[in-house]
Amino acid sequence: MNADDLLEVFEVMLRARLFEEEVGRAVVSGEIHGEMHLGIGHEAVGAALGRHLRPGDAVVSTHRAHLHALAAGVDPVELAAELLERDGLNHGKGGHMHLFDPVARFMCTGIVGAGVPIAAGYALVQSLQAAGALTVAVMGDGTMNQGAVFETMNLAAVRALPMVFVCEDNGYSISVRREDSTAGELHRRGAAFGIPGFACDGTDVDRIDAAMGEAFEITRKKSRPSLVVASVYRFRGHYEGDLDLYRPAGEKEAALARDPVRRLRQRLLDGGTPLARLAEAESRASDAVTRWFASARRRPVPRRETAADHVFVGADG
Amino acid sequence: MAESARDPRTGSHLVAAALRQEMDRDGSVVVFGEDVAGLGGVFGATRGLARRFGDRRVFDTPVSETAFLGMAVGAAQAGLRPVVELMFADFLGVCFDQILNQMAKNTYMSGGRVRVPLVLRSAVGCIGSAAQHSQVLSATFAHIPGLKVAYPASAGDLQGMLVAAIRDDNPVVFLEHKWLLKTRLSELPFNDATPADAQIVGRPLGRLRRLRDGADVTIVAAGYLVQLALLAAAGLEGKGISAGVVDLRSLVPLDRDGLVREALGAPCLLVVDDDYQQYGMTGEVLATIAEELRHEAPAMGRHAVRVPIPAAAVLEAEVVPSVPSIAQAARDLVEGRAGA
Repeated sequence: MNADDLLEVFEVMLRARLFEEEVGRAVVSGEIHGEMHLGIGHEAVGAALGRHLRPGDAVVSTHRAHLHALAAGVDPVELAAELLERDGLNHGKGGHMHLFDPVARFMCTGIVGAGVPIAAGYALVQSLQAAGALTVAVMGDGTMNQGAVFETMNLAAVRALPMVFVCEDNGYSISVRREDSTAGELHRRGAAFGIPGFACDGTDVDRIDAAMGEAFEITRKKSRPSLVVASVYRFRGHYEGDLDLYRPAGEKEAALARDPVRRLRQRLLDGGTPLARLAEAESRASDAVTRWFASARRRPVPRRETAADHVFVGADG
Repeated sequence: MAESARDPRTGSHLVAAALRQEMDRDGSVVVFGEDVAGLGGVFGATRGLARRFGDRRVFDTPVSETAFLGMAVGAAQAGLRPVVELMFADFLGVCFDQILNQMAKNTYMSGGRVRVPLVLRSAVGCIGSAAQHSQVLSATFAHIPGLKVAYPASAGDLQGMLVAAIRDDNPVVFLEHKWLLKTRLSELPFNDATPADAQIVGRPLGRLRRLRDGADVTIVAAGYLVQLALLAAAGLEGKGISAGVVDLRSLVPLDRDGLVREALGAPCLLVVDDDYQQYGMTGEVLATIAEELRHEAPAMGRHAVRVPIPAAAVLEAEVVPSVPSIAQAARDLVEGRAGA
């Protein structure tokens, strides 16, 4: 990536960071009453996804999905309105863990591992269309211990499905540390199924971009699954309100060096990007997020009488 | 009658014919599951499809119910109309999240933006395979908002309701009784199958039908037990009891208006079920009638399965409603030994 690319990636990541921070404030204020999982620290994965997705690709994500929704092209105002429990992307029926945008081909699910086989369904349709489109199944390191993932790796390999398994390895399954829950090296888990795996530092924009580029190319050109495991740090608790007491003292402070937004900012400065250009990008990102949330907050809350709608489509709905 | 006496087909031929018709009509209909391609289904219900439509539209999956059912959910959301086979309904336990939290809920959670036109076909009922391969589990599916549940009783419904299920834009659980799949149509008490070369017309879910009139008691059932109830009613006639039979056809949608109509005309109403009684279809039907009719409701009873299905034939016969036990329950109700 050249300096302009890097600056653009910085702006994308900063928008995602500011987006999540605003959502976090809405939880504290009570504007959002439900459970909330933020992706602060995971931004480089979202930015890399955004760079490699093409029209026609699909993304199926997890309970920590806002970054991936933004990367997939979900309208940020619709997204924010849904998170704020207003008449948004899914009319207040889905909320933060269950976002569906059939136009952007994005969805996420709150059940760990359940989205992975669904992603195979999108990939099945793409394999029949043979137009080079692919589906990304996003998961966390905790998800990698779900049987659904193993089942789907096998099925995707057998059916030669164009899907990329992207694992954000943040080192914690909720509160349980990686070494207490997970055996072996995650990126090697595809090998038994003939699925090439790429491990990378998911806080270094070049490394995650390169790993994802390589995986996407294999999957897109050869119509076969691939796996990317990006190591990241989760700077928030599992959910907002999680006291986070299971972390060793000093861990979070030490991890600041792996904050992808800070890291790229420093790198841009070190590389000679003028502070003024950086400040412009920061101000654009901040203005965009402010505008999105202002628009979202003008959306009405869902009407009470719609609660029973959409159990079914059509005459029985 | 002479026509049906010569009919060599079984229920499984009818399912395969309905699938073939719909796959010919609509290129987005695909079939996958365990042993559906090479073998043509363990009960033969997908026979001939792989040869006719090829591997892109009909294929075998690994024994990974979560993976292939989830794949069906995703494929349905992405534009196909998958018809997947869960070999035995008992296997829902290994893929229940995909049924409970994905297939059933994605339409609602998307605010109606996502459609899941998916048919989950599954074989149900007793053929001597004990507690893990004999269950019906219709109420387990029907309990979850967002799933339609069809349980056809007759050959004609097996075809017509499957056609309707495939054309439905919602997820439909389609329960096929093993006895109906395996039995020659000429041996059915009641055969309304479409002739082999005729167009199969869709039969809508959610509309019950009365198959036999009766002045003393109305027996309400779904699936296999409808056929047994007809036999039981015929037997009761000789004992001076006039029993009618109503076929529910689908548990979801439930034909509430139809139930009220039937209950208003019946002095006694017996609901029978080969699924579990506790918190099940029998209670739902009786509660619906009680809610709608209050003091006008008939004397009501129910007769269903109360324990896991045992292995030995003599025990199985004791546990699952049969022609004599349905007849006895109906007599008890008519003669005032209610509660059945």
